[in-house]
Amino acid sequence: MYSIRKQTRQALLALTVTITTVLCTAAAADEGAATPDEVVTKVWSAAKVLQTKGASAIPSLNNADGPWVWKDSYVFAFDCRLDRMVAHPMRPDLVGRPIMQVTDNNGKFIFKELCDAAKHKNGGWVEYQWTRPGAGQTSRKLSYAVTADLAFSTGIQVAAGVYDETLSVEQLNKMTEQLADPGSFDH
Amino acid sequence: MEQQKQGNPAVVGLGGFGLTTMVLQFHNVGWMGIGPVIWLGLIFGGLAQMIAGFQEKSTGNNFGYCAFTAYGAFWISLALLLIGNQFNIYVSSKTDIGWFLVAWTLFTAILWIGALRIHGAMATTFTLLLIGFILLDLAHFGYPQLTVVAGYELMATALAAWYMMAHVIFADVYGRSILPVGNPWIKA
Repeated sequence: MYSIRKQTRQALLALTVTITTVLCTAAAADEGAATPDEVVTKVWSAAKVLQTKGASAIPSLNNADGPWVWKDSYVFAFDCRLDRMVAHPMRPDLVGRPIMQVTDNNGKFIFKELCDAAKHKNGGWVEYQWTRPGAGQTSRKLSYAVTADLAFSTGIQVAAGVYDETLSVEQLNKMTEQLADPGSFDH
Repeated sequence: MEQQKQGNPAVVGLGGFGLTTMVLQFHNVGWMGIGPVIWLGLIFGGLAQMIAGFQEKSTGNNFGYCAFTAYGAFWISLALLLIGNQFNIYVSSKTDIGWFLVAWTLFTAILWIGALRIHGAMATTFTLLLIGFILLDLAHFGYPQLTVVAGYELMATALAAWYMMAHVIFADVYGRSILPVGNPWIKA
């Protein structure tokens, strides 16, 4: 009798621990992972700040404790015409360096694709492999890039991304078009 | 008593105008950042050119008086405008800077008509300057890729201004005209 009760108690305890762990992990994932609409909002805000404040806004994009770093994501800026990284809060070693030859583990030319995506009116999403901040290995990243307009410049490109295994580029481009022009999606 | 020889303030005015115009274009084509443009704009293109402008007053040269003082003020305004953006004082957006440039384009168009009557080098400089301003206007209103075109075009403007500076200096030190400035484009 005693042993059955003990077993039950142990089972209950194990169950409680499991449930708590699962819930906490889920909550942490929710807290820790940037969402696609956050990415779009951040990228648009960064582009707007560059349009408004010009080159003087660039240092804030290089600040790892600044407004452009949130959860597990961050805004980075690059110049497709000059082939160089303009600002990267996580990788200061890349700033000022050429970008066009940068490839991911699958040999994809990341910035060539980001530059093509940024040419579209409302920007576009690109899928590639990149290291999530704090992680030891690369994972699937989907980044949204636009071209920001700034004075005395041909414009620079700004982007940010989500780390996700399931979302598709088409899905995200559609979501972005809808955010950019909600009116045309009213039916 | 022999009158003391006077210097020509245009050598400083043209020097400052040319040099700051040149470094802004080094920025516009992407060779360098905006930092040196701001400080040179305040001191050489701004302060020095403006003083040269004031000195033109006593030479009786209204064209130089207006042009050097005004473009000196242009550089000081532009530098302060960019500094204002850094410190959130009356932040000027790309469009705001575009309209600032449009006003300077209109002003330059008036001086351009005057320049046509001065000599070939002045007419060339102001024609290039006016085209450069128009290109920068377009670059700020929907054609950002023209910034680079304006960059190279305005480098030619800066060289033309330096040519006139060199004309005055060389004529003085060599005692004869070394660099021809050409006839006015509009005669009589």
